Amino acid sequence: MPDVQTLVNDFVLKLKRRKIEGSQASAKQTAELLRSVVSHQRLPYINQATVLLDAVRAVGEQLIAANPVELAVGNIVRRILHIIREEDLTSTASAMEGLSLSANSDDDDNFEREDHPALSAAAVAAAARSTLRAPSLQTLLEGIPESASAPHPSSSGGDSEGKTAERSSRSKKLKHDVIEAINELIQDIETCHEQISEQAVGLIHQNEVILTLGRSRTVKEFLCAANEKKRSFRVFIAEGAPRYLGHVLAKELVAKGLQTTVITDSAVFAMISRVNMVIVGAHAIMANGGVIAPVGINMVALAAQRHAVPFVVVAGSHKLCPLYPHNPEVLLNDFKSPSDLLDFGEFSDCMDFSTSGGSPRLHVVNPAFDFIPSKLVSLFITDTGGHSPSYIYRLIADYYSADDFVVQRRPAS
Amino acid sequence: MWRRSASFVLEKRQLAQAYPPHQQILLSSDDMEPNNLPNPNPNTDHGISAYYQTRAEHHAVVTSDWLAQAQAAVTRNAAMPEVLAKIAATGGSRAAGSGKAFSVIDEFNYWRKKPDLAEAVAAIMALAAFIRSSEAATMMELEIELKKASDTLKSWDTTSISLSAGCDLFMRYVTRTSALEYEDFNAAKLRLIERGEKFGEISLKARRTIAMLGQDFVFDGSTILVHGYSRVVLEVLKLAASNRKMFRVLCTEGRPDRTGLRFSNELAQLGVPVKLLIDSAVAYTMDEVDMVFVGADGVVESGGIINMMGTYQIALVAHCMNKPVYVAAESYKFARLYPLDQKDLAPAIRPIEFGVPIPSGVEVERNARDYTPPQYLTLLFTDLGVLTPSVVSDELIQLYL
Repeated sequence: MPDVQTLVNDFVLKLKRRKIEGSQASAKQTAELLRSVVSHQRLPYINQATVLLDAVRAVGEQLIAANPVELAVGNIVRRILHIIREEDLTSTASAMEGLSLSANSDDDDNFEREDHPALSAAAVAAAARSTLRAPSLQTLLEGIPESASAPHPSSSGGDSEGKTAERSSRSKKLKHDVIEAINELIQDIETCHEQISEQAVGLIHQNEVILTLGRSRTVKEFLCAANEKKRSFRVFIAEGAPRYLGHVLAKELVAKGLQTTVITDSAVFAMISRVNMVIVGAHAIMANGGVIAPVGINMVALAAQRHAVPFVVVAGSHKLCPLYPHNPEVLLNDFKSPSDLLDFGEFSDCMDFSTSGGSPRLHVVNPAFDFIPSKLVSLFITDTGGHSPSYIYRLIADYYSADDFVVQRRPAS
Repeated sequence: MWRRSASFVLEKRQLAQAYPPHQQILLSSDDMEPNNLPNPNPNTDHGISAYYQTRAEHHAVVTSDWLAQAQAAVTRNAAMPEVLAKIAATGGSRAAGSGKAFSVIDEFNYWRKKPDLAEAVAAIMALAAFIRSSEAATMMELEIELKKASDTLKSWDTTSISLSAGCDLFMRYVTRTSALEYEDFNAAKLRLIERGEKFGEISLKARRTIAMLGQDFVFDGSTILVHGYSRVVLEVLKLAASNRKMFRVLCTEGRPDRTGLRFSNELAQLGVPVKLLIDSAVAYTMDEVDMVFVGADGVVESGGIINMMGTYQIALVAHCMNKPVYVAAESYKFARLYPLDQKDLAPAIRPIEFGVPIPSGVEVERNARDYTPPQYLTLLFTDLGVLTPSVVSDELIQLYL
């Protein structure tokens, strides 16, 4: 346990100091950290899932608080909570099948079922199944209000009986299954670029002109994949001030043999009429289909809308965030160092703190992100395929359970 | 921007305290309201839709003594079976389908008089009571009788959307689950009754869920425009206020029901700064509004809503000025309708007082509600979660496919 705690502290420190660049790296490292949390967690015989969920949630809370702007961390925490719930459910369901014959004979500590003695085992299983599913009209009448409003409805009352050996094997099984699923998740995060790039040929046509802004690894791989399949097309790259990552991307693409043109950010409107498609990367995709992306992209999106150019966002599914962009802590923008914009040597006399009551006359603001409303986005390309903004809710329902949307329990409610 | 700051809200609050008589005027005008609607008897049809009567009754001032009165009236009703029987006799000709002493419509009328019950809930309660009184011996027979009862109920008031939505939902539940999961007919019947009678609870819980989801969208220093008296919207704002959010509310007057007066009264009692607008001042004030909050009578398959007259207009103005329009509605209001335009729905007729005699030969538009297409709505807060309008059809297809 202590070594896990040091791992967690290390990672929290890294996140706080913004040492980890990029959503993919943070997502992967979060998943790996939580995997070791799960594997080191000692499990009691009953309510294993609850213990596991609490452990993951406790670590997750720290991680999210360390860098609330890096939404990928929170996403992975929620994904893993969902994985635990799912695995618990499958093991309970399989246990339930075996128990249904002797279901009436066990009267020792089946506290979960005592409340509804009239329900058959099948009904309990159905209720448990419905707790994982997102609430829907179908389950509106079936659902049991009391248990659904409880903070943690998924029960593991099924494994309170049976021999000790069976118990320990089952406890190992749950943990094993969860770790297995987390490994799959890590695999998915690693390979998401390939999955996305596979769809490139279908979207980019011969002799098209593509515009992008700044540098995103996903976009780079996407364009390269199309190039490798012998598509010839041209790329306009807006340089992405103030970090000028567009220059880096241009270099990389030229090295791969792509016809590339670099333009300034302010030239986007001038060039957009010649563009066939805009492809950009994202920092996070919100639940309503809005996108948080590097600064400057909202302008590109508006230009694209003005000229009816398709605006495509490529992003791995770890960037899907189940939150709505209403929370102030979500809308928090990262502010980078002003040294990107101005050279301190030249402007140091403007930043004199002695004039005008202790605050300098010159301020420099260097935000990292833009929010792009969903109506400006034509298409999302994720590792599971292309989706329209209005479909994002469905992906989120697949990946997350509704109980995990709020990982941090607020002190007020 | 200054008027959105918290200090401004505080200032307004202090100002409001300086004018206490304002509230008294409000209260006295509200006290007169129930007299305008003297115990509507749905059977004497003046061309006024029963749906509208329920609305008018439910949305009268909900003060504590009014609640107590309503409660007493309900229990008195229940204690006098001969009164019920009399009503049943007069209503008997309509409820030709059942042909028994029990009439599903009376049951529905009984439930819908309860001040806190939504119409869909009343419908489901009535159907559950119908199952209880039914003498059917097989599932098939019960289903057929239930279908008849639900059809009678629906045809009795074709203007109410949530009534038919509630009936459809319950019928769907009965046909889909009962026959599959229970071998024993009596157990199945009991379960159906239990679920139906529990539905009131589910609906109350739904309202709480919506309040929890919706209050996140209310941020400090925001200005919210509200149209119509919606219990769900009130619940959302109540929760937001109790979480110490600083916001102010603009209420439209809501002619001719003056729903805005009632709503603003409720909010003023919570200590929320509130301002009344006449209905035609919406575009004028939209500038300072941060979000529009409305309830819904029904949510249709396109994801659009059917709500009190004027909602469409407000949504259009809000859309023009890039303000979000949020709808708070319980999921049992999702109805299988797909209106293409305003005239696609049967109008719900209501009386309109102009205060002066109307010149002869002049027609009056007396419809009580309009249809707002989905492209003008931003998000729906439902007990299924926060949904974009396109999700509504998805949910409905999943249920009725």
